[in-house]
Amino acid sequence: MKANPNDFRVDAVGKLRAETRYIRDEKIPGLWFGAAIRSPLPRARIKSITFDKNFDWNRVTVVTAKEIANNYVAMLENDMPFLAEEIVNYAGEPVVLIAAADKETLREAGEHVKVNYEPLPYVLDMLQSENSDVKIFGERNIFKEIRIEKGNIEQARQNAFAIVELESETGFQEHLYLEPQGVVAIPEEDRVIIKGSMQCPYYIKAALDEMFGGKKHVTVIQAATGGAFGGKEDFPSLLAGHAALLAVKSGHPVAMFFDREEDVRVTTKRHPSYHKDIAYVDKNGRILGLDLTIYLDGGAYCTLSQVVLARSALTATGCYHVPHVRILAKAVATNTVPSGAFRGFGGPQAVFAIEMLIEEIAHRLNLRPDQVRRLNLIKEGQSTATGQILRYSVSAEETFTDVLERSDYVRKYNTYKKGNAPILERLLKGVYPKKNADDMLKGIGLSVSLHGAGFTGTGENRIKGKIRVEINKEGMPVIFSSQTEMGQGEETALKNILAKTLSIDRELILLTEVNTDLVPNSGPTVASRTTMVVGSLLVEAGKEIISRLTKKLNSETGKSFEYRLGYFYDGEQIISFREVAQKYAGLFVEKQYSHPPVIKFDDIRWKGDAYPVFSWAAAVAEVEVDPVTFEISVARYFTTHEIGKAINYDQAIAQIQGGSLQGIGYAIYEKVGLKNGYFDITGFTDYIIPSSADMPEMDVKILENPYPFGPFGAKGLGELPFVGAAPAVISALWMIFNYPFTRLPVMPEDLFSVVRTLKEKGA
Amino acid sequence: MRISFIVNGKSVELDVSPKKRLLDILHDDLDLISVKEGCGKGECGACAVIFNGERVNSCLIPAFQTDGSEVITLEGLKELPGYAAIERAYVEHGAVQCGFCLSGFVVSTVAFLKEKKSPADEEEIKEKLAGNLCRCTGYTKIIEAVKDLSLQEDLRRQPEAEVSHYVKK
Ligand code: FES
Ligand code: FES
Repeated sequence: MKANPNDFRVDAVGKLRAETRYIRDEKIPGLWFGAAIRSPLPRARIKSITFDKNFDWNRVTVVTAKEIANNYVAMLENDMPFLAEEIVNYAGEPVVLIAAADKETLREAGEHVKVNYEPLPYVLDMLQSENSDVKIFGERNIFKEIRIEKGNIEQARQNAFAIVELESETGFQEHLYLEPQGVVAIPEEDRVIIKGSMQCPYYIKAALDEMFGGKKHVTVIQAATGGAFGGKEDFPSLLAGHAALLAVKSGHPVAMFFDREEDVRVTTKRHPSYHKDIAYVDKNGRILGLDLTIYLDGGAYCTLSQVVLARSALTATGCYHVPHVRILAKAVATNTVPSGAFRGFGGPQAVFAIEMLIEEIAHRLNLRPDQVRRLNLIKEGQSTATGQILRYSVSAEETFTDVLERSDYVRKYNTYKKGNAPILERLLKGVYPKKNADDMLKGIGLSVSLHGAGFTGTGENRIKGKIRVEINKEGMPVIFSSQTEMGQGEETALKNILAKTLSIDRELILLTEVNTDLVPNSGPTVASRTTMVVGSLLVEAGKEIISRLTKKLNSETGKSFEYRLGYFYDGEQIISFREVAQKYAGLFVEKQYSHPPVIKFDDIRWKGDAYPVFSWAAAVAEVEVDPVTFEISVARYFTTHEIGKAINYDQAIAQIQGGSLQGIGYAIYEKVGLKNGYFDITGFTDYIIPSSADMPEMDVKILENPYPFGPFGAKGLGELPFVGAAPAVISALWMIFNYPFTRLPVMPEDLFSVVRTLKEKGA
Repeated sequence: MRISFIVNGKSVELDVSPKKRLLDILHDDLDLISVKEGCGKGECGACAVIFNGERVNSCLIPAFQTDGSEVITLEGLKELPGYAAIERAYVEHGAVQCGFCLSGFVVSTVAFLKEKKSPADEEEIKEKLAGNLCRCTGYTKIIEAVKDLSLQEDLRRQPEAEVSHYVKK
């Protein structure tokens, strides 16, 4: 379907004409190239670093840890150094930096550096970390521990008809943005300019201000960014630090450009998780209580693990109303590459675990999975695990009902079960399973998911995002914000919101380059917050611009103009917005965000409104498994999203399609293992992301249920589509094999061993 | 080494290191920035160009093979009259997100259309574009755009087809 022209993206044509410059497309005179020499071991003591005398070191610039006064990347815990000094804590950790005028010299120089390591014991397993003798972070290797309690879990246990327990796990996931990480640092007299592919320019600025101890003015500019998904949230602070160190020392602009292999091997991944969950249920499958234990593997340094954990814990009861809850969540340190932000930010792990627990409840009580879900869905007026009463914009039931109907779930569930029976029987008997060449095992699975929009807890009130809108000489409103376009459509959304508020053409609105010297800190582009939080500031700013222009006009003319859909009108005269705005060029409005006061959260006791509002989704996946090769594919994918209000309907659909496919990748394609502590992937050949040949037929629907404090009712969207995809796909595998799949991803070889187990059981 | 070849209809002569790939020559030396490096290993399609009439991944073509060749990149394609229709389809179908994969997709779209005698169905498009990876869109909108384009006869293979007029085979 073609989009409404109002929904066309403002950045599309520039990209289609190759006029948009990503960082590697910039022509920077005298650009040098930098690289890091990295630890090959997951944990070791650096005994010495030697530079081969036979190499002419005058041709290159070298930086080691000793030269860095404030050798830590300012983030939540400041525990991660720019370069390891004594101990390396993960394979791939940077130890020495080198820069040279060309890549050939750079490579040669790298070969002439020798780092001597003394290997040390290490811990890779997140469940062993807490009690390990290997100390990575504090005494117990715990970055954060969260306890949430509601009601009285003992009471739920006593009243339970059944106690259902499930352990589940999820693996690493690589973002695989199409544009690998890339940052350039340009040194000036007492300033350093950072330009690159990034989500959060002010995070980088904060880290570098700290690194330079305020001795340099740091300007951060975002270049066009080729996808991020969280992967360019925290990591670029480290990379920009490297580029800046080399640039300042060498006096040349220095690029840190990763090739794909380096990118997948040393950049952050989605946190692996382990859940041990207990549900207390009555005989109908109603959940009386949930006792949940969550582990997230944070890797060697904290990065954002504490807040990822918070989102995981706060999402752990899923879309369900549960009277009695006990949650114990821990983010632990291991000797692996630090885990970092990734679309969903702890939510997908939590939703996978709870959705599989629901499958297990259905399995135990002999109910259909949709029945257990429906019975427990949370409704307006009910409360979450933190006691947050959901007062508005609650659509767990509506999205669920809609997607079940549209996908014809119940009928297909029964039909497919029947159709699978003879194929499964042959398979488990060890007979060739296909009678007809196109015999496939067909499954249908479902999930319900939610995503809290904006920062967790008091985050927004701490960040206090700020924007400015200024009228330029041409009478055009110019938006100043630090939100970044990384493909999600931020530029289009922000322009659309202000245009709609002012009732003028979107073409009349300008957006300033994201440059920390020019734009205020409106907060990072994360947490599905841009549209909802920054968008709401733009609506306020737009309204104030109208009222100020009206006042000025009236006091100047002595008349009483009113603003109507883009025009000032006083009964006799009608003047366009632009004409009036041009007269008052220079007028500007600043707005700063804080939550509506009705939203309150106590982040010490974990009580109250963890998020101002949630977005809701339900999904149904139709999955096919080849009974001979065990190849898994998703044939059709239905999803219904409720996001308050779609600011850009077409691009909201686009987000949902893209996020869903990424979630399907998480379920059945994307696997990262560890080999000697190193990720065992090198790029697209051994880390498979879905291609167009793998995509299902997508059927997306958006429901509206406005959020009273969002711009035109909008809530957050970017992450939600990802969250429910994997559980829906895996739910379909439960249905086919009547077997508990509790580990992400599920690969053909896993099905093979499940079938072997089932055969043995049958025999 | 010295190479001479035709890029977007113009002859170019250049001294290049034999270590360079066609991708580097186009992107770094000729500033044809539509040619993107997503993997450098022939896996993602972001560096796709039309090389002697065929769609290839330019990261796999060593410098010596470029001598005497004819190359068309997005910068060349966009000068063709038929390009407006392609651009419009991608815009109207909302098929653009981060854009890093995009020139590869457009090159593949052109290569695909010039082979088509009749409108394409979705399955066929999915197969033919499977060499181009996109992490943002989920492909649906790209497929819709290409399907729409394949309905336009003048874009499909005919001697006078505008888009294929550069593309000799
Ligand atoms: S860069 Fe050439 S195929 Fe990926
Ligand atoms: S639009 Fe981002 S990779 Fe395709």
